[in-house]
Amino acid sequence: MNRHLRLKTSHYALAGAAVWLTAQPVQAQDSPLPLNPKLSVIVDGVYYDDSLDGHGDAMLGETAGIFAAHGHEDEGEDDHGGHEHGLEQGFNLRHTEVVLSGSVDGMVDARLNVAISDEGDVELEEAFVASTGLPAGLRIKAGKFYSGIGYTNDKHPHAWDFVDQNLAYRTLLGDHGLSDTGLQLTWLPAWDHYTLFGIEAFQGDNNERLGTEAEHAHELPDRDKAPRLWTAFAKWSPDLGHDHAVQLGASAAFFRSHQEMHHHGEPDEHGLDGDARLVGVDAVYKYDSGRAYGQGDWRVSGEYLWVDKNLEVAHHESNPGVIGEARDFSEDGLYVQATYGIAPRWEVGLRYDAVGFTNEKRGPRPAVNADYDESERWTAAATWHISETSRIRAQVAQVSGAVGDHREDYTQFYLQYQMSLGAHGAHTF
Amino acid sequence: MLKRLLITLAFLLPGSLHAADLRVVATTNSMGALATAVGGERISLTVLAPPDRDAHFLQARPSMMRDLRRADLVIAVGAGLEAGWLPVAVKRAANRDIQPGQPGHFQAAEHVELLDVGESGAGHTHASGNPHFNLDPRRMRTLLPALAERLADIDPAGAPAYEANAAAAVARIETRMPQWQATVAGAPGAVFHHADTRYLMDWLELPTLGYLEPVPGVPPTARHISELAESLEGRDGVIIHAPYYPESGPKKLGDALGWPIEQRYTEPSEPTLEGWVDLIDGWVDALAPRD
Repeated sequence: MNRHLRLKTSHYALAGAAVWLTAQPVQAQDSPLPLNPKLSVIVDGVYYDDSLDGHGDAMLGETAGIFAAHGHEDEGEDDHGGHEHGLEQGFNLRHTEVVLSGSVDGMVDARLNVAISDEGDVELEEAFVASTGLPAGLRIKAGKFYSGIGYTNDKHPHAWDFVDQNLAYRTLLGDHGLSDTGLQLTWLPAWDHYTLFGIEAFQGDNNERLGTEAEHAHELPDRDKAPRLWTAFAKWSPDLGHDHAVQLGASAAFFRSHQEMHHHGEPDEHGLDGDARLVGVDAVYKYDSGRAYGQGDWRVSGEYLWVDKNLEVAHHESNPGVIGEARDFSEDGLYVQATYGIAPRWEVGLRYDAVGFTNEKRGPRPAVNADYDESERWTAAATWHISETSRIRAQVAQVSGAVGDHREDYTQFYLQYQMSLGAHGAHTF
Repeated sequence: MLKRLLITLAFLLPGSLHAADLRVVATTNSMGALATAVGGERISLTVLAPPDRDAHFLQARPSMMRDLRRADLVIAVGAGLEAGWLPVAVKRAANRDIQPGQPGHFQAAEHVELLDVGESGAGHTHASGNPHFNLDPRRMRTLLPALAERLADIDPAGAPAYEANAAAAVARIETRMPQWQATVAGAPGAVFHHADTRYLMDWLELPTLGYLEPVPGVPPTARHISELAESLEGRDGVIIHAPYYPESGPKKLGDALGWPIEQRYTEPSEPTLEGWVDLIDGWVDALAPRD
């Protein structure tokens, strides 16, 4: 879908949701629902520089591996209709988030997340309704939303502990993580320890990296019918009292239909068709010191993701003989990060993120095989929470990245301000 | 297939069916004190916010959702106090009985008259009114029969017991109120960290001489402390703050003015009427005139 069309559909969705939200009857006096709906706007600006004249951030989105090495960079703007959040040297205004949330009728909640780019492009990040009235600990969510897999996946940029998305997510899922249109069912059994199970069915069209429909795919077979993307996740948390909290999670996603076009328009243009899967584990630990303004608090989290694409050559412009040959791709990534409240309203953070410990392409002939290097980075950040609604963050990172067939070592510097106007729903754990 | 799995798993749940007590979850120990005073033997209580920390700044934790998942009634202060964590915890607890608007969702703020309604100043203020009425015996007294009524809605068999318990608790508080007021008569007033003493001072008719926070939710600044010290020069008073707030601000002001510094939690250490009465005793002692 091109940008113009996307803009238009977003407008319709916005208008539709607004009408739908306001069309609900006014709550009676004896029904004490929260003030409806809540509106907030989050402004997010970043000054960015690096030791590569400002090219370093865009390069992080193209680290050598099974995504970058296969022509995605050649396709430029129209690749999957996604957008790379590459920061430029100097001042950047990142997406301004507009969040509208509220209870529709006491049994259904709705939330709308719209991202406005610095050029005024509007994109619907999330628009969903979620039940609160089902029995037996069940909840259903419908619409477009961030998948419940992993730990970081459903966090919006204003809830991140660092300026930018970690390398594992950015490389394997895209800057936004896994976000699509579909249904989610979760079940929270009434057990002695918090345990949550979830499954999701998605259209499987709209992802940045996996579960994609290739552009210019006239030569490729029709895709499977939707839902083309299924996920499952589980989270478990032992009760450790008021000071400590731990949550462990495991997730899987299966993309029934994944297509890629490489080198579009060139003599060696070829297309791949098949399926893909993702497996991930995550762990979070939080310590609440009990002191005011976050002093002494710890937040530690880590995730490991592994992606595998089992594809077949379905089209080759110059060499039809390879059609039907298998192409298997796999790559993994991880991050581990911690923040600590060193003083009231002051927080420092350290993160290690890396991709490509497994990073390979395999086919039936050795000539097809390829192995790619890993990329890794260390990041340190200091955040000053001026108030509950505004913060300033300075961040430096040292990257050792694999780009194409060479390595680039460089330093990144970020200075960020994030301010939110108005109230939006409380953040999840 | 999934349905069958869910049904099978549902039968394996440990201990979810035997409990006869009404399962009540209170957000704070003050709300828990109301619950135990009215509910007595008929309820089992879980409190989400530990008494030794600021209920404004908790996070929705998995253990809260676990507790709320099994609750028959949640008792919240309301007026935005728990806005940062309770709504999301209640939502994610996937328990329809305790969703806002249901009988199982009791917001104390809806049953008392709030002060400072509509003040939308800078920082962490609650436009719906100041939520710190737990230090006000008048409002806590009002809440007891309201809660008894709600408990009776959910558990009609217990109605007489709830009503009797509430009446006894009201009598207990009313006996102490004149004593507390007499103890602080003629006191010079105090400086606090945060406006969580708003109702207490209103009830005791004592002056609040200032707040250590320049605006609610923002830690004291050196400039604000020195301005406070300047404006209060030559007056009598006391500085009272919760132990979880930084000590440097109160100490600096106390040194400048020669005032005593007292530390008091704003929540009772136990979720019982006894605990709450001890809490008020402690505050009244801290405020009482020194001679």
